[in-house]
Amino acid sequence: MSSDNSLGVFEEQVMLAVLHARDDAYGMNVRREIETRTDREVAIGAVYATLDRLEQKGLIASSRVAGDGGSRRVFSVTAAGTRALYETRAMRDRLWQGLDLQVLGARSRA
Amino acid sequence: MASHSSAQPPAPPRVPVAILGALLPFAERSEVLADLAAEFAYRAGTFGKPAASRWYWRQLASSAPSLTRRIWWRGWSGFEPNANRMRPGGPSMESWIMDARYAARRLVRRPLYTALSVLTLALGIGGTAAVYAIARPILLDPLPYQAEDGLVAFWNPFDWSEQEFLYLRGRVPGFSEVAAYRTDNVLLDRGDGQVRLLPSILSSVELFPVLGTKPALGRWFQRGEDERGAEAVAVLSYGLWQELGGDRSIVGQRLRIDGQPRTVVGVMPRGFWFPDPTTKIWIPQPLRPESRSGNYAFLGRMAPGLTVERMPGPIAEFVRMLGERFTYPAQWDKTKNPVLTPLRKYLVGSLTPALVATFVAMGLILLIACANVAALMLGQVEGRTTELAVRSALGANRVRLTQQLVAEAALLGIGAGVVGALLAVAAFRGLVAALPLGAWGEAATLSWSVFAAAMVAAVLAATMVAIAPGVAMWRGNLRHVIGSSRTGGIAGRGGRLEGSLVVAEVALAVVMAAGAGLLVRSVAKLYAIDPGVDTRNVGVLRIVLPNEMQTPRRFQALREVTAALATLPGVTNAGAAQILPISGDGWNSGIRVEGDPDGEVTTTFVRFVTPQYLETMGVKLRDGRMFTEADRTSAGSTPGIIVNEALVKKYFAGTNPIGRRISTGFTEPLGVVIGVVNDVAEAQLTDPPGPARYMLPETIPFVAGGQGVVFRTSGRDPATLLEDARQMVRRTIPGAGIERVSTMEREFATAVGPARQVMMLLAILTTLALVLGAVGVYGVISHFVNRRSRDWGVRLALGMAPSKVVRMIVMRGTALVGLGILLGVTAFFALARLLGSLLYGVGASDPLAMGSATLVLLVVGVLAAVIPGMRASRTDPAIVLREQ
Repeated sequence: MSSDNSLGVFEEQVMLAVLHARDDAYGMNVRREIETRTDREVAIGAVYATLDRLEQKGLIASSRVAGDGGSRRVFSVTAAGTRALYETRAMRDRLWQGLDLQVLGARSRA
Repeated sequence: MASHSSAQPPAPPRVPVAILGALLPFAERSEVLADLAAEFAYRAGTFGKPAASRWYWRQLASSAPSLTRRIWWRGWSGFEPNANRMRPGGPSMESWIMDARYAARRLVRRPLYTALSVLTLALGIGGTAAVYAIARPILLDPLPYQAEDGLVAFWNPFDWSEQEFLYLRGRVPGFSEVAAYRTDNVLLDRGDGQVRLLPSILSSVELFPVLGTKPALGRWFQRGEDERGAEAVAVLSYGLWQELGGDRSIVGQRLRIDGQPRTVVGVMPRGFWFPDPTTKIWIPQPLRPESRSGNYAFLGRMAPGLTVERMPGPIAEFVRMLGERFTYPAQWDKTKNPVLTPLRKYLVGSLTPALVATFVAMGLILLIACANVAALMLGQVEGRTTELAVRSALGANRVRLTQQLVAEAALLGIGAGVVGALLAVAAFRGLVAALPLGAWGEAATLSWSVFAAAMVAAVLAATMVAIAPGVAMWRGNLRHVIGSSRTGGIAGRGGRLEGSLVVAEVALAVVMAAGAGLLVRSVAKLYAIDPGVDTRNVGVLRIVLPNEMQTPRRFQALREVTAALATLPGVTNAGAAQILPISGDGWNSGIRVEGDPDGEVTTTFVRFVTPQYLETMGVKLRDGRMFTEADRTSAGSTPGIIVNEALVKKYFAGTNPIGRRISTGFTEPLGVVIGVVNDVAEAQLTDPPGPARYMLPETIPFVAGGQGVVFRTSGRDPATLLEDARQMVRRTIPGAGIERVSTMEREFATAVGPARQVMMLLAILTTLALVLGAVGVYGVISHFVNRRSRDWGVRLALGMAPSKVVRMIVMRGTALVGLGILLGVTAFFALARLLGSLLYGVGASDPLAMGSATLVLLVVGVLAAVIPGMRASRTDPAIVLREQ
């Protein structure tokens, strides 16, 4: 089950950005959200392709809302999406359990 | 979103905006572009416009892959609201993508059909693209000279003398400049023991001003550098400069050329060539007013405002000047028939027919391949009529059904384009070698244009392939098919379209076969020419004597090398001459006959040969005697001269030439005619016999650096002795360069030349065309037979003889082939002109070539129809009728 729903790194970032953007989660804003939080340049095309794929998987949903100068496609995370995010995080936490990065760093330097 | 716009926000670069616009999901397009533009404006304000532009490009670059993938998998706008679907750009693209995917699946499910179609098309595409890539730099690219329209070559090339040039220099009416040049090979000694033979041009200083190309480094020749005693200078080609290290300091350095130091004054730019791309070095030739040997070609730049059409006036004046100063014998009167040739035609005109003929042949192959694939596809369409009819009944319109066919053809075209481009790359070298390109072949390089050409050919091919099945789709009544298809029946569609494809294929194949037939006949006639020498059992070595070797030592070297070769096992004779027969022009000199006042105005071939040379070459003595070793000692004082029959006919008509005194053409004392031999094709194989004088090397006080050494064996294949001979030459003359080794038979094959090479190529292509044509006839007839299997079943059940069934089917095939042949023959008459200059001794409408082409096609066509015919005659009526 968890393997079906496990998210790629970029997918996870996009979904988290959708959550952060709240009511204003349209493509360009999602992109900007990821950029400011990860400090990396993100391509709009990659964001749209990922949003599209996530919507097909049923992890996010989109609706059209009227905004200034036309309608916009705005995204929100579905219940299945929330579960997938939770599972991805839980899996990562399990993997991290008992590891200390400072110790690891010291060991690899030695 | 908040905009950072001031009064006039900077606009993002137009190109990425357009591309992104095309790739983005339709519904979001305008909003995303607006947001990107806003962010662009913000970035432009903060980081500057260049940085913002770079950011925008990066956005495009990293967006493109994911957006493209998305389009492929979801269609143009999979999630768009229905209201948007009617807007341009949306639904039609989506349906195209669906069709392409459907076609891809269909093709994958029929691997044999797909592979056959792609390969057939790829053959045509690859061949056409390769020939195009070869021909483009020669026929289409602009010549590397300034304003090439103003450049013309004078009539009688390589027949003008230094005397004539110096008389006319600077005052040729109608021309701003005229240059004289001749071709030569010079020896470049780099001081490392390696002597290289470089194709070169010796010219007057006007050559570069006439051509108008500026050197990349240094300068071109200056006034006075073609006078005797001037400093020896040279201009190098870009390629030679690179080979010598590509150092800019080469200008001003000295190179040892023909044993003499020469200062490099300039390097021509990359891509410059004159008169062909193998020429490596240009040297000003000291011009002697007394020299009357006709070795030069004249090249002129017309005065501004003049064109070839407006030249007759100035040329008449020029001819008058020429006539005032010189008197010419009637046969070589330069004042008669003056013709100016535009430079392009003069330089590459001789290559045009071979290239165009090959290109047309490749194009025909492509057309045949298209017809074949179209017929295959048509068969598929007819096999799918039920499916198509059902789809149409369910509401699919014909545009959509046709679109699907086009998508299939397009996919086949793309596949064939890729495979074809690879084939073209692979075939390029082979084609260059197979075409009679001479110097151009050595310089031909593969460029990206071969891919571009392959893709263009592929698009054309795909379009042509789609036409026939498309037409079938529009013509037939699909609804009606549903009714009739289940019962099969004689009333099935007539296959007229398929029939016309076969007719077209056969017609194209006839054109090729007839062309190949003409060339075969022409080459056969060339082989039948008697070159005047016995080419069997003769080995050939072209050697270059070392520069530093002095003349007396050179005499000795020639004596030693021929004597040494004669000792090889199986060798009977050996000899040497400065130029061998059928290897082109050169070494003409004026002749004066004692007691004839008309002194030295005509020239003959002059060959300096060792005593055994004529016997070695199998030249027959007609009168008098051959040279002996004893003649060597008297050669300097009273040289013996052997002349050929053409010379006797021209200068001694009706009298006995033996014992008469004639000039040697080089030194003062007159020589004595001691013998007469048969005519030898000294220059070109197809030239009419020209007068020639043969003298011993010792006759003149210098020996040409390049020598042709020949040996005759007593029946043993001379090719097996060439390696021994090569080592023998190395041992006898240390430091000599050996340019090439060959046999006289091979040299003869080379001399037969362009026609032979084009013939080989056309023969191969014709075989291909025949195979493709046969496949086409077979495919169409067997499809015709299958469609009517019920028909045959009924006829056989009613008692028709199986042989009659075969006859009916073969008759149908023959009718198609016959019609194709008729059309092909007609088309060939229109195209035969192309081959005109490659033909020798046959007319373009040679009945034998035409007849054999017709016959071959008829036989192939009938055979291709017999096989399905036999199958039809064995139809079991019970099985066929039970199927209903």
